[in-house]
Amino acid sequence: MSNPTPTPQTTQRGVAAGAIDARKDYGDGDSIVHALDGVTVNFERARFTAIMGPSGSGKSTLMHCLAGLDRLSAGRVFIGETYLDTLDDAELTTLRRDTIGFVFQAFNLIPTLTAGENITLPMDLAGRKPDQAWVDQVVRTVRLTDRLDHRPSELSGGQQQRVAVARALSGRPEIIFADEPTGNLDSRSGSEILEFMRAAVDELDQTIVMVTHDPTAAAWADRVVFLVDGRIVDEMVSPTAEAVLDYLKQLGT
Amino acid sequence: MLRVAFKDLMARKRRLVTTGIAIILGIAFLSGTQVLGGVLNDSIDSLVTDVYKGYDAVVRSPEVQESAFGEFRPPVDADVVDQVRTAEGIRAAYGIIEAPTVQLIGSDGKVISSGFGPPTLVFNWIDDPIRPGRLNAGRGPEADDEMAMDFATAEDNGFSIGDRVEVVGQKQTAEFTLVGLLGLGDEGNLTSGVKPLYFTDTVAQELAGSPGQYSYIAAAAVEGVSEEQLAESVSAVVPDQQVVTGDQWTEQNSEQIAQFVGILTTTVTVFGVIAVVVASFIIYNTFSIIVAQRTRETALLRAIGAHRRQVVLATLIEAALVGLVASVVGLIGGTLLATGIKALIGTAVSVQGRNCAAHPRHACHGVRSGPRGHLAVRGHPRHPRIAHTADRGHDRGGGGPYRPLDITQGMGAMLVVGGLVLIALGLTSTVDDELVFVGAGLFCILLSVAVVLGPLLAGPASRALTWPLTSRGNVTARLACENASRNPRRTAATAAALTVGVTLVVVIAVLAASIKSSVTEEIEGALGDVDLIVSAGQFSLLGVPPQVAETAGSIEGVREVSPVKFGFFRLLDDEGRRIAAENPDPDTDAEDAAGQVFGMGDDAPEGEDVVANGFEPANYFELVDLGEVVGNPEDSPGSAIAAQAEVAEERGWSVGDTIPAYFAATGEVDLTLVATFTNGLGPEDKYYLSNETVAANATPGFDIDFAVYIATDDNPGTRESVQAELEKLTEDRPDVVVQDRAEFIEAQTAIIDVFVAVVYGLLALAVIIALIGIANTLSLSVLERTREFGLLRAVGMSKRQLRWAVRAEAAVIAVFGTLLGMVIGIAFAIALATALTADDPGLLTLKLPVTQLVVITVLAALAGIVAAIPPARRAARMDVLQAISTE
Ligand SMILES: Nc1ncnc2c1ncn2[C@@H]1O[C@H](COP(=O)(O)OP(=O)(O)OP(=O)(O)O)[C@@H](O)[C@H]1O
Ligand SMILES: [Mg+2]
Repeated sequence: MSNPTPTPQTTQRGVAAGAIDARKDYGDGDSIVHALDGVTVNFERARFTAIMGPSGSGKSTLMHCLAGLDRLSAGRVFIGETYLDTLDDAELTTLRRDTIGFVFQAFNLIPTLTAGENITLPMDLAGRKPDQAWVDQVVRTVRLTDRLDHRPSELSGGQQQRVAVARALSGRPEIIFADEPTGNLDSRSGSEILEFMRAAVDELDQTIVMVTHDPTAAAWADRVVFLVDGRIVDEMVSPTAEAVLDYLKQLGT
Repeated sequence: MLRVAFKDLMARKRRLVTTGIAIILGIAFLSGTQVLGGVLNDSIDSLVTDVYKGYDAVVRSPEVQESAFGEFRPPVDADVVDQVRTAEGIRAAYGIIEAPTVQLIGSDGKVISSGFGPPTLVFNWIDDPIRPGRLNAGRGPEADDEMAMDFATAEDNGFSIGDRVEVVGQKQTAEFTLVGLLGLGDEGNLTSGVKPLYFTDTVAQELAGSPGQYSYIAAAAVEGVSEEQLAESVSAVVPDQQVVTGDQWTEQNSEQIAQFVGILTTTVTVFGVIAVVVASFIIYNTFSIIVAQRTRETALLRAIGAHRRQVVLATLIEAALVGLVASVVGLIGGTLLATGIKALIGTAVSVQGRNCAAHPRHACHGVRSGPRGHLAVRGHPRHPRIAHTADRGHDRGGGGPYRPLDITQGMGAMLVVGGLVLIALGLTSTVDDELVFVGAGLFCILLSVAVVLGPLLAGPASRALTWPLTSRGNVTARLACENASRNPRRTAATAAALTVGVTLVVVIAVLAASIKSSVTEEIEGALGDVDLIVSAGQFSLLGVPPQVAETAGSIEGVREVSPVKFGFFRLLDDEGRRIAAENPDPDTDAEDAAGQVFGMGDDAPEGEDVVANGFEPANYFELVDLGEVVGNPEDSPGSAIAAQAEVAEERGWSVGDTIPAYFAATGEVDLTLVATFTNGLGPEDKYYLSNETVAANATPGFDIDFAVYIATDDNPGTRESVQAELEKLTEDRPDVVVQDRAEFIEAQTAIIDVFVAVVYGLLALAVIIALIGIANTLSLSVLERTREFGLLRAVGMSKRQLRWAVRAEAAVIAVFGTLLGMVIGIAFAIALATALTADDPGLLTLKLPVTQLVVITVLAALAGIVAAIPPARRAARMDVLQAISTE
């Protein structure tokens, strides 16, 4: 346990994304909600970071703002060298397409496209030729080779999430955001996904930020950031499931 | 629960709107056609009554010529008026001129044509309430160079009192000062669309071609004398004339118009039915989408503890509210639509003016009379027949109990079988009216194909259509394709609306092109040595001024001049009498029996009424190619008849025989068969009278040259110089045209284009509904796919790409519907053409207007894209985050 209020810091790895005094308010007057209440955080390159916190603490909001799906009320977020507030809508779209990967908790795939088409969707949208060798490797890693021609409705929930992860990886984005990617899965399918994400970070130098409620899932990460009431309250490096669980219990009281 | 229902309604405004639109469209088209029919009938009845309300009795000639174009009677002499005035109980009697023998010239120097619509009529000015029409400004004409006219005609053409107005008659063009304006109704402020022009007696008689005579005599009774009493006493003083009561006169006239309006309303109703069929596809579609959406919602409500009854109630309340509001809006829309159609018909066919009624007696004159109308019928005789029977065909097919919600594959199959049986019956001529059967059968098949085959084809067709793009990895096209084929039933039902419209458009286009090309060929062949044709504007009784026939021969380079007249007469030979005996005229018999005709009954012997062209004995059969001519056309020019060889044989005539005939103006006349010919200019072209015979026996106003055929020397430039000379000769008659063969053929076939344009205009309604249907379906689909679109946007699809995906989907649906319609349409056209030519092979050669068909397809795709603009915009505008989190 260190540093209850972290400041942007540079390590030799470099920073893939981050937020500086990020604020996001919903509503106004008496009913105003400070979903993000001054968040400053860095996500290092080629690291796997987990974000945890009670329901309503602002995890999803933070992730959406980092990923260019939503805009802050105040403060700044950046991906690589780019501050997102300097981009217009179309530029944000391109950024999402080319430099960000997404995994949501559910409904990750376009039902009319096959698994294979879903995986290469961002590149197809960009009109870019996918790096076939890389895509093949990703597909092999997630063990989907024989499922590429199937529609999402013909895949299990775990397989669907694996397709989603494969899609996030296939374009070699700067950073992948995953919002409770294992939330809907049983623990076996969940750990498959996590194992795979871990491998992507270790072997492929991918940067991943994941929101989770599950201490076991968080234990796969290099670092856990704790969010409470729109504020970062703590973080934990090389977490274990027990340590995270203990910390959460302590937060709950 | 009421609150739930209401909240639900408000929360789903868009669904509300789309359902509403579907219902509104259906109701609007149904009510629109009903309203239109009603309005037309009512206003016609009241206006006809109004026009002749001053007449208590009408004295007319007992001689009558029935014809395909109506009933003609010769005029009565002026001195009969004085006799009539001696009748007991009479307040006033006037000779009335009422004749369609003039046209107005507009300020642009062009003739103001009546088109198919109500004609321009000559009336004599009568300073008595008997006169049809009330003055609403100025006064009646007192001097021979003064005139009055219908206020609407004046308004439409920018004439005002004091202006000089040019009027073309059969023999002369003259200028008049406009001194008064009239109208119908007590205030003289209503109009029927007819263009009545009022002149002094002498001028009117001259313009009508009957100096010293009147078309008929109208009489008014003194107070307390009934119409019957007056008619009785009048017939006592003029025993050799026919007298009818004012009511009877009005009724006869409105019957004639009612027929015309009947055709009109039937046509409009047919298109109404088509529109409703198309709209029901949309309603069906909208509801099936909504039901699918609701299922989830209902399940959730039930899961959280709502009673089944409560859920049903909520649904019913929603349905009732939407239905009620939409129906009311639909009714209003329908009424507006009726006004729109009225205006459309008004401009396209110029049926009538602002009051939605036709003028009595002559409202349909333009359609049925006029030598050019006659020529048109002759030139392409099957054209009206097609239009007529094809309409009836649709009427039957579309009028069936069509309930889209119940349509299953089984019903589709039944429709196919039923349709095939009907077509088989039609094509094998086991029934009388082949076209009705074939038409009905085709419509059945069209419906079933759209409903059954559509869903099967939707998937493969979308893939094929987008293949050029998807094969190159275009993911937008791929998405559009998949979206179009993911729910083939929905796509098919959406496309079906367009399919129905396009099928009809294609059938019309193909048949019209075929007819046009066969007519062109036929006229080209028949024109023989004719180089130039002089004719008066279409739909006019004006004719070519007589001096053309008289003086054209002296123009340098003219080889032959052959004026062509036309006439109606009754054949009294054995065959003619037999035909008359077999088809007793219900009208005449009924009216005689009912004692509504006083004095002389109709004084025409029984026989067969026919139309004949007039020929110039010296050269007609040499100039015009009517096949092999037997006999000498120059024999007995004062009583010559020529007949088509086959007809002559059937009737047992041979050249030299005497043929008994009857003319309304001159009574029974013995004609001499001077020649037979093998090819008429069409199946209706069976009889010819020599021009002299026509002139000697014509009812006044009908002795006109409707065309003058001219042959020139073959020297280069001669034809052009003769054409110029002829144009100079007819300078003061802007309605007369001098055409070479190509121009003539063009003008002759132009009527087909007009007809096609009108039909297209009506079908455009169906196509527009279909497009609204596409927009509607897509809006609902977009709504359903909110989450998907959110995801697409999240992973980097641009707004532009998303818009294009939706538009491309619409284009796929539209093109699919169009191509399906095109294939069915072409097949139908072939079937119809086969049915048409069953009796008469070679009548029609099938011709595919390829360019037109390609244009239709491209337009359909573009229209689909346009239809998709609102849903596409909505899809692109969606808030990404909200979309992702939508359930
Ligand atoms: N669109 C919105 N409008 C108003 N308030 C919102 C909106 N989105 C989020 N909030 C509020 O912002 C706060 C943070 O929400 P957020 O979704 O980020 O929480 P979370 O940490 O992801 O919770 P969970 O673990 O339940 O997913 C909550 O109080 C929520 O009610
Ligand atoms: Mg969340």
